[in-house]
Order: sequence, then structure tokens, then C-alpha cells
Amino acid sequence: MKNFVGSRALPDLVYHCPENMNALMALFDTIQGEYKIVAGCTDFIPAVRGGRWSFNDGLSLIDIKKIDELNFIKETDGIVTIGAVTPLSTIMSSDIVQKHAPGLCHAMSTMASPQVRNVGTMGGNIAMSSPAGDTVPSLLALGASVIIKGKQEEKKVALDQFFTGPGKNIMASNEVLKAIEFPALKADESVHFQKIGTRDAVIISIVSAASFLKVENGVCKAARIALGSVAPTPIRVPKAEAFLKNKPATREVLAQCAELVAREISPITDLRASADYRRDLSETLSRRTLMACLDDLNP
Amino acid sequence: MKMPVTLNINNTTWNLDIDANATLLEVLRNNVLNQQSVHRSCEEGECGACTVLMDGKPVNSCLVMAASAQGSTIITSEGLMRGDELHPLMKAFVDELGLQCGFCTPGMVMSAYALINQWEDEELSDMDIRKAIEGNLCRCTGYVNIVNSIRRAKQAKDAGNWW
Repeated sequence: MKNFVGSRALPDLVYHCPENMNALMALFDTIQGEYKIVAGCTDFIPAVRGGRWSFNDGLSLIDIKKIDELNFIKETDGIVTIGAVTPLSTIMSSDIVQKHAPGLCHAMSTMASPQVRNVGTMGGNIAMSSPAGDTVPSLLALGASVIIKGKQEEKKVALDQFFTGPGKNIMASNEVLKAIEFPALKADESVHFQKIGTRDAVIISIVSAASFLKVENGVCKAARIALGSVAPTPIRVPKAEAFLKNKPATREVLAQCAELVAREISPITDLRASADYRRDLSETLSRRTLMACLDDLNP
Repeated sequence: MKMPVTLNINNTTWNLDIDANATLLEVLRNNVLNQQSVHRSCEEGECGACTVLMDGKPVNSCLVMAASAQGSTIITSEGLMRGDELHPLMKAFVDELGLQCGFCTPGMVMSAYALINQWEDEELSDMDIRKAIEGNLCRCTGYVNIVNSIRRAKQAKDAGNWW
């Protein structure tokens, strides 16, 4: 078909669709030339069409979407594990995730559009390693880890050690993201996510923030605050988090903490927003998400 | 590279020989299948004009590799017709003036069809409708008439006028 005005043609592809992990690992040994692992393709296609990525003809596409071992949601002993190619809409409507991490379901409901969520995967959102990935702040706030499968071994890495730069992460080309796991929220813990973009649907966040709060007898026992689109990777803000430890869980203290968040980050100006605006938003969204957690815990 | 896929499109099974780099949109619009309701527009998932149902769920056909759709069931707006008769959902769009230029309409119809089909007995609020069509852009109507159309279509389904 003739290429459409304003968009680039996809390169000529060799399409591989391994049916299980063994077939995938065997494929890594035999495959020739350049290859790319994909699942939903909802980021891959626009990236190529828009010219952000370019590949030579003959690129091998390894579609891992059909691997059943990567498509599951389970909870065992207080740990929730989600397979990398589980579609976002499946995670959002899963009873397990809604029960153990409602903040993550909310974060996903703000992502893209229903059409994209039915195809796009959480593993894809993480592996793309965009600074603006919308599942990532909530997962960082939940204290998530990723399970990476290589030829020889399987390793578990804390998500805050996973990203190395915009679009970059620690995975080698013959490794694959297998699953994401995080501890289920307990009764005295809460996670909330908010983002700001120029509209609600199908938008890249100007700033996104997620907060985790654990409150015992009116005292903050633990806090995690994560932000997207304010640094080369999604980040946590350790100084602001440490400030909250063992402080009374009041709105004043949380507001002070949000001010520290704005001081701790160094966002940049780009086509979506200025650095100053991002800093302001970071404070606002940290405060709102922290307060929302507090409201959950002090009904 | 050419490769074979089997797709069920509007209740007909097709064995096709496709290009490996073709998207589902391109395959649906080609000379063989000729599904002209599947509109090619932004090609990056922003506009929703190419929305089809894949295994019962709305997806942007421009963002699905045709090869990865192997074995799935696709419904396009053409598939909602019974011969020349419009689907009750399409009639609701006509009656409520839910379209002007009509470019977004086939995609809008598919998102609405998925919403109404999976909706159980509770009341369908305007916000539910707007959330369901958040992935479909319309530059003419301002959405009010589209929301009215979808609400009217839900009433048609409740009255038993649906397929």
C-alpha cells in the first residue's frame, strides 16, 4: 500500500512469533541481524512512523505477545506478580490488582485510550523506558521489582535500578522482561497517582507523580514518592521521602514534604512545558497524591 | 516478506498472504477485503478513526501488526449491517445527528458498540460514554450529539432492538 502522507513506511520485516519461553531463548541463538522485541506494538509503530526510530529493511520483529508464560496476574504470600505482556485493560479490571493496588489501576485508567489499553502491555511501557511512562511512577511507589530472563539465568532487579536514561535500561539485547512484582498494599498503606497533560486522553504527561504512604498511629512510618517527566528517567526523591519518616501524618507535614520534592528535582524545559512549570506541578501533584493517601488512611 | 494469516472478518474466515510489515489497517483496507469503513488517518493511535473490534475489544487497527492478529476475530462497521439495513446504533447516530462530515463515525460506532455490548443493567452515564470514546477524535460535532446518539442506542438495546 502506498505510504501515507506525513508518515514513514515500516521497514521490510521478518516476523517471529515464539509460542513459549524455550522457543524464544532458542530464537536468540539462531537469529541473524538486527532484531527488536515487541508485544503490543502501540509504541513501536508510532515511533517508526514518526521517525523517532529507524530500522533497515530486513529487521526481525520478535512478537512475544503469544507467550502464555508472560500473560498472567497472581498474588501469593502478599506479593502481586504481573506477566510482562498482560494487556493494560486486563490489569485494570483484574480483581487482584484492584484489591491490592487500586492506585495502579487508576494510573492505567488515565493512560492513552481504551483502544490502546486493550493492546498495550505493562512490560512494554516499562521496557520502552520513557521518562514519561505512566505505569512507572505508581510501580516505583509500590516498591516494584522487575524479573528479567536471560539465556542462562533469571534475575530480579528493583525498578529504581532498572532505568539508565531516556529509552535506555539495563537489559541486554538477548534478555527479556518477564514479569513485574510488588508487595500487596496492607491496611495501613496507600498509593495514589496523578498526572497532568494538555488533555486527559492519549497524551504524554507533562508531569506525573505517585505517592506511597504508610501511617501507624498517626505517624508516617514509610513514604515513597516517584515522579515521571522531570528527569531523564522516572525517579524517586529520597530526601523528601526521608523527611517524612517518623513525622506526624498531618496535612502541614505533607505540604512541607511536597515543597522539598520541588527543590530536589531538576526538570528541563522542552516543547511540552518549561522547567519552572514542571517544578510547580511536581510540588502540586506530590502534595495531592500524598494527601489522597492520607485521606484513604484516615477516613 | 510474505506470510500467511487466518483472520475471521465479519463472520467470514479468510486465509490471506500478507506482507509481514503490514498493519491490520492496511490489510483490512486492501483490495481483497475492501473494508472502507476502517479509516486511515493519524496512524499513531491518536484519532481512533481506524477502530475495529478484535476478539470483542476495540483496538486501533493502525497499531496492530496484521501478523500478530493471526487467528483473531475482527468486526468492522460493515459487519454491523444486516444487508442494507443499518444497525440500531447507526440509526441512533442518524436520528440524533451524531455526525457531520462522518470521517470519525465508523470508529466512533465501534467504540460505542463495544461499550454498549459489555454494559450490564446499570444506568449509562454521560461520563461513562465520554470515557469510552476518549480515544476517538471528532472535529465537527463537539461530541454532544455523539453522546446523545450513544445514549439513544443504549435505550434501543434495552428495548430489545439490537444485534
